[in-house]
Amino acid sequence: MNKEASLSIAERDFILNALREDVRLDGRQADQFRPLTVSFGEEHGHVKVQLGKTSLVVRISSEVAKPRDDRPFDGVFTIALELTAMGSPAWENGRQGDLETYVINVLDRVVRHSNALDTESLCILKGVSCWNIRADVHITDYDGNLIDASCIGIMAGLQHFRRPDAVVKDGQVIVYGLDERVPVALNITHKPLSVTFHTFDEGKRVILDATRKEEQASEADVVIGLNNAGDVCYLSKFSGSPVDAMVFVNKSSVALEKVKQINGIIDKALQTDLAKRAKSGMAEESRAENDREIH
Amino acid sequence: MAQAAASAAQSAAPSLSLPPSQFARLQPHAYLLAHLSPPPATNQPSIRANGRAPSQFRVTSANTGSLTHTNGSAVVRLGDTTAVCGVRAEILHTEDIASWSVSRSTESSSAPTNKRRKLTDPTTKPNERIDSKDEDDNESHIQDFNLLVPNLSLSTGCAPGFIPGAPPSTLAQSLSHQILTLLHSTRLVRAEDLRIWYQPPNLGPEDLECHNENEQMDVDASQEDEKNKEIKAFWVLYIDVMIVSLAGNPFDAAWAAVLAALRDTKLPRAWWDVDNEMVVCSDAVSEARKLTLRGLPVSSSFCVFEADAASGWRAVVIPDAEEEKELDDSARKGNQRRWILADPDGYEEGLTQERICVVVDKEQGGKGKTVIQKLEKVGGWTADAKELKALVDISAQRWEDVRRILNEQC
Amino acid sequence: MVGPTATLTPLSRADGSASYRCPSTGSNILGSVNAPVELPARRDALRPEDATVEVFVKPGTAPGGVGERYIENVIKNMLAKLILGREKGYARRGVVITLATIGGESVGRGDSYLTLLPALIHTALLALLSAAVPLSMTFSATVLAVNASGEITREPSEKEAAAATSLHALAFSSKGHLLLNESQGAFDFDTWEKVHARALAICHGTLTRTSDGDVAMAEDVDGQPLEGTVRETVEDKLHQDYAWKTDAP
Repeated sequence: MNKEASLSIAERDFILNALREDVRLDGRQADQFRPLTVSFGEEHGHVKVQLGKTSLVVRISSEVAKPRDDRPFDGVFTIALELTAMGSPAWENGRQGDLETYVINVLDRVVRHSNALDTESLCILKGVSCWNIRADVHITDYDGNLIDASCIGIMAGLQHFRRPDAVVKDGQVIVYGLDERVPVALNITHKPLSVTFHTFDEGKRVILDATRKEEQASEADVVIGLNNAGDVCYLSKFSGSPVDAMVFVNKSSVALEKVKQINGIIDKALQTDLAKRAKSGMAEESRAENDREIH
Repeated sequence: MAQAAASAAQSAAPSLSLPPSQFARLQPHAYLLAHLSPPPATNQPSIRANGRAPSQFRVTSANTGSLTHTNGSAVVRLGDTTAVCGVRAEILHTEDIASWSVSRSTESSSAPTNKRRKLTDPTTKPNERIDSKDEDDNESHIQDFNLLVPNLSLSTGCAPGFIPGAPPSTLAQSLSHQILTLLHSTRLVRAEDLRIWYQPPNLGPEDLECHNENEQMDVDASQEDEKNKEIKAFWVLYIDVMIVSLAGNPFDAAWAAVLAALRDTKLPRAWWDVDNEMVVCSDAVSEARKLTLRGLPVSSSFCVFEADAASGWRAVVIPDAEEEKELDDSARKGNQRRWILADPDGYEEGLTQERICVVVDKEQGGKGKTVIQKLEKVGGWTADAKELKALVDISAQRWEDVRRILNEQC
Repeated sequence: MVGPTATLTPLSRADGSASYRCPSTGSNILGSVNAPVELPARRDALRPEDATVEVFVKPGTAPGGVGERYIENVIKNMLAKLILGREKGYARRGVVITLATIGGESVGRGDSYLTLLPALIHTALLALLSAAVPLSMTFSATVLAVNASGEITREPSEKEAAAATSLHALAFSSKGHLLLNESQGAFDFDTWEKVHARALAICHGTLTRTSDGDVAMAEDVDGQPLEGTVRETVEDKLHQDYAWKTDAP
């Protein structure tokens, strides 16, 4: 199955006709994101993203692994995403669908291949051990725009995550527990995010952050991956009908503005969380100190 | 032939009776029920459709060492269920283990950490203390480095429905997992048996810092030599189980095969050759040694057959456990409604949902005391504490039988 | 001790969902139920008069493996017996239960799922209730660790579980039947009986029968019985959902 029930003709026409009058079903502007909240859990690298009715949880984890033979100086970074029946009843558990492959592919390119996470900094001991960073994306509710939401979640998670400190002493790697040494933040080189556009009405109408129904009614999609500096790291027009080249040019500036805005939201969420941690951490730390003295 | 059969069926038709084999297929539940609950007047004991008493296991046989290319192997037959197990040992160098050179600074020194990771700290290495009760400290090697790799496959055609080329079924996957967790939780294989050491010639005074991790070891003077010993590699045991024929109860057969194969496993003597920087194995058969296993855990599986399974689904009002117990006792004289069947065959497994698996060992506890290694029950609410106690006793008896069968081999 | 907390129906897309947090084991599970759904292929052909229950367990920070398949099987066998799959609209359809570990430690290869099992089946139960799937009984579950000196720890942390000589996960139906028992490690039957009694007390409290036949749940050393926690979560949710009606003048 792995495919959402298709829209009825009436629904499709309704969405299309409304768009012709510059009206979206939820009353948004064509260039407007749905309300976005980014929140963090207790653990480092645990992010919850809510974008309209689409929601997901990202968990970042780390473990010591052996680097790949051909890249002894590099750590490993993997993005794992599996669509389960939790996100949408149309998705079948344990069976990979087209959407899943597509989303993983885009995420890989936007985040991993653009080297947002500096993998060289994950090396501990050349050719012997390195950090293996894993981002698990759990889609909990699906209402369109998986790519942008996952991207936001992964980037926020990478910035929030702290790995245990590790030092090399006579060829022996010592990993310190989270409560022993201040854990280390990951080395983020830049903060790329994707912005997905959908086109309607023979390319005349272009909207961003489409809901599930809008996605189903659309003709084609365009994904632009950018960072705050405006460097394009991903650009795709994957399927559907042709799109005017000018759309890429015009929408790049829109995308840049959106990326800056979203990165702002992430930064703010990170700061709030940091402040919260600092506050409770003070109390925790003094207690931990006392604990240690007893032994 | 077919015509003869047809005419035979026709001649039998007027009496509207079916031969037992057809009855068994058409009304499997009623067929088994009829066997288990004979008319009270006849005073017959209840007997299963396969002729066994409810707590009777199938004829079991074992044969070890028949596969010559493995380090140890066994074939176990449990009635029509046959499991073949081969153990293959391969060398894993410590430098190939990513987490080998990683030590965790003790997370909390107060906790009794039996998963301690001070791996290359030479002072914590026990020598071969096979007689000692528990060498908890370094047993975690087996689990941490995946030194035991069981894999179970249900081979094509072992039962109808297993087609070639299909990915491992969930049954095969969960059986593999059950074998792995049981290997880990019973700690059947000793980590010491799987270590390959390097003993450098004793050169000069010790400059190694002694941690007081394990006081009783430091006191021991004979440990001096041990301090320089270093683990250079491990044996990894690939335990492949193949269910050649599946007629119910695959776990008992598979586990018995694993157990028999491990008892049969011999590892060649291996040591680290410092000049060539590699592990060298001796090809002298006399030097190879057997694994010294901990105990002899034997698994027994049961299923619960319910008389009202088909009709009772609408009876939403299920009596309380307490009430049911009272009901049970009074009703016992009349007709029994539930039967616990030992070692179910495929036919019985298809008719039951509740499964019980007991793994017991009488060797490890010593003095014939029954130690339970695993007690699993799922899929229903018939078996409660009282029934489980009876099953543990049956399993203890079964343990004697299996031990006898396995010992005949060695 | 701090009891578990649960939320009913946190998700909008699935038919029913629940999130469950157990502070002592640190696990946080999100579960969803889609039922009844049409199943693709011929997976309904095996038992045409009944619903097919499917369970999918997704680890939090690792790819799924044989351990997940095994625990899925255990949960499935347990729930299949409780779900009234022959009710109207359920026969030949599927009840798809998805459980994801969204907080706490994941289970490594070859490790046992026992410590997570109660959280998983509680989540599944609440999600089933949230999806209004007909059940014959509800249940509650707990996990106990017995250490070398015979002490019983309720819902052990990872460290305590690693130090234990045996681990036991038990589930009891709302009517007191033993629905599930998973024990591993070395122990004897007397120990198990103690564990059984303790688990029953944790799940049901000390049973005191009142005159009208109701079983009252009394609090004891283990605080509020788990059975009550499940019940309260559902009651709270109902209260919220019907606030418009009950609070109206």
